[in-house]
Amino acid sequence: MKATLEAINQMQADGVIGKYAIGGAVGATFYLAPAATVDLDVFVTLPVAGTGLLVSLSPIYEYLKSRGGKAQDEYIVIGGWPVQFLPPSDDLEQDGVSNAVSTTVEGVPTWVMSAEHLVAIALKTGRPKDHNRILQFLEQDAVERKKLGRIIEQHSLTAKWKQFELRFLGGPR
Amino acid sequence: MSKPKLRARMASLSFSEKIKILEKLRDREEAIVATGLRRKAKQVSDQASKESSK
Repeated sequence: MKATLEAINQMQADGVIGKYAIGGAVGATFYLAPAATVDLDVFVTLPVAGTGLLVSLSPIYEYLKSRGGKAQDEYIVIGGWPVQFLPPSDDLEQDGVSNAVSTTVEGVPTWVMSAEHLVAIALKTGRPKDHNRILQFLEQDAVERKKLGRIIEQHSLTAKWKQFELRFLGGPR
Repeated sequence: MSKPKLRARMASLSFSEKIKILEKLRDREEAIVATGLRRKAKQVSDQASKESSK
């Protein structure tokens, strides 16, 4: 992972990507007990190029392939980790990148989404594994409930949260 | 040690330590996939389901 993050940081220093934040299972591991995963989800803002509205990940893939990265389906393998680069698809994900928490892995600086953003994104995505992850955050008391409430409200996820509470927590908490 | 206590202990490790554990879990998963053990286990389980439904 150290080599993976060094490559991503270099890509940022070279202006290929802007701010980034680790999300998904690896992001959740920052707050929770480690749970098996085979990939690394990296939310990235991309430098604005021209006036086109379409976001292209080609510069990232070209950059990494020229430095030994290997494309594999929707991933590119860097330092042994399949990495998926995800441009924020909405305000919630953009907010998650903007408010990422800085940390280090074996001395390499990096950024991870806040626990509350990870939970809100999991709620929005809504697959069984996302619901499971939300429950882990709650059980391990790893989220600030007030902050989570604000994010849920701000990003119009209140109805989804109520459904989640009803289904998994036996009603509002 | 109870599961909640173990989870809490694991959660309190540094991010670097947790990443090392993730890498070990990933390597183990890849080794299992490479040996085909998971596929064999599924075949055994499917066979057992078929026989029990007879």
